[in-house]
Amino acid sequence: MPSLTEHPRLVAALTRVVPVTLILLAWEGVTRAGWVNPFVFPPVSEIAMRWLALLIDGTLCFPLWETLWRALAGLGAAIAVGVPLGLLMGRVRWAEWFFEPLFSFGFPLPKIALIPLYVHWFGLFSLSKVMLIFTDCLFPMVIFTYHGARGLSQIYLWSAQSRGTGRVRMLWRVVLPLSLASIYDGVQVAVVVAVLVAVVSEMVSGGSGLGQMMIRAYRHGDVRTAFATLLTISLIGYALYKAAQWLRGRLLFWHVAES
Amino acid sequence: MSSRARSYWAGALARLLPLALVLAAWQAASMSGLLPKAVLPSFGEVAASLGAMLRSGEIVPHTLASFARAGAGFGVAVAGGIVLGILMAQVRFVERAVEPVLLLIYPVPKPALIPLFMIWLGIGDFSKVTVIALACLVPVVIATFNGARGVDEMLLWSARARGTSERRILWRVVLPAALPQIAAGVRTAIAVAIIVLVSSEFISAETGLGYLIFSYGGVGADDAMLAVVIYLAALGYLLDRLYLAGLRRLMAWHAFAH
Repeated sequence: MPSLTEHPRLVAALTRVVPVTLILLAWEGVTRAGWVNPFVFPPVSEIAMRWLALLIDGTLCFPLWETLWRALAGLGAAIAVGVPLGLLMGRVRWAEWFFEPLFSFGFPLPKIALIPLYVHWFGLFSLSKVMLIFTDCLFPMVIFTYHGARGLSQIYLWSAQSRGTGRVRMLWRVVLPLSLASIYDGVQVAVVVAVLVAVVSEMVSGGSGLGQMMIRAYRHGDVRTAFATLLTISLIGYALYKAAQWLRGRLLFWHVAES
Repeated sequence: MSSRARSYWAGALARLLPLALVLAAWQAASMSGLLPKAVLPSFGEVAASLGAMLRSGEIVPHTLASFARAGAGFGVAVAGGIVLGILMAQVRFVERAVEPVLLLIYPVPKPALIPLFMIWLGIGDFSKVTVIALACLVPVVIATFNGARGVDEMLLWSARARGTSERRILWRVVLPAALPQIAAGVRTAIAVAIIVLVSSEFISAETGLGYLIFSYGGVGADDAMLAVVIYLAALGYLLDRLYLAGLRRLMAWHAFAH
């Protein structure tokens, strides 16, 4: 009989799957046995069924789309503004002098506290949420790009300069590609921030989306829907994070810092 | 004052200058009428509002309420996270059992847990503290685990060769060697605690700085709202600085370990 030790990969896979399965089974068992109030703590199978039902009848689709597009729009705007600004800060003295302290001070501050101000400025609807996501994501984008652009090896810059490359062309054709690894680290931080801010702003100021769906489920005391929404939010966060990681591998295979 | 201290202060001032410029531009725009009060009150008004709140003591009970919530959750998370992280690094079984669970809750945006915990634990402080603790736990556990796992084998061997008991090794070798990573995880947890605190106080609270921001924003008292935002930001910044300064004293010896 072949022993398990002959299949290290199988063992590794089992050790990953078994604990989670055990937890889920225990959850199911405890709730089915009636030891806890099923209204407050429903069996995991019922949550899964509710999730599927919400997905199939489309209740989940519109909020999912709302949260997703807001997060991606805010993130996209933060990349579009943050990357040029970070590059500028990394290569131009006065830009570094002016912006670096502002972004260093601002990075750890809780931008979520600005929700009421943004609602006042940009209204209750999507714009205020997208703008807040943009603001919050801008900080990691600028700071990571800046550190990438600043830490470049001079040799690449010299060799481009010696061929008469202009300053603007230099930023786009030399500094930007060489900073990409660092920029992608920034994107991976910002993706997580984008989903978080989207959900929190929807929870606080409504306007559909998964955050509001969660709050509504809470008001109705509907734990199954709350769990299904939470699962969806987590899946979005995880999928976007993985997508950023995958994109990084595809786009940066040539990168000098990677090899 | 030594020349080194002088250049340190000169550097700090040069870094503050852009911030002062932005505030001055804000004030100038307000005073010239370019920036209507309905859009944004002037910096002077915000500062005056903050001064009034501090003098009247209105902000004090809210500060204490927020501190109690964030502090309780953060404290539980740091204590539990360090114990759990060390256990994971030392006991194979614990690592195998906890790691998948950790991977499962890692991608959850923690404020999204607030409504669920409000159903379970009520809308009071207990649900807020629990979510803050859960959110802070993740970075502390991961950092502690990585730190304790990455301890230089040489240190362990040399301790064992002298007959140090495993328990003593844990206290005298593993924990100190993992300290820099643990410290970084704890620093992340401070920032996380503030974000989850504010989110939870926005969603449901009758005290706390998040509640104060939200209720001033709701009645259109923008100067008071911004005053609390700035106060909260300053508190967060101060906490981070204090933590770093304390850490530097605590770990003055660590440079020798490398």
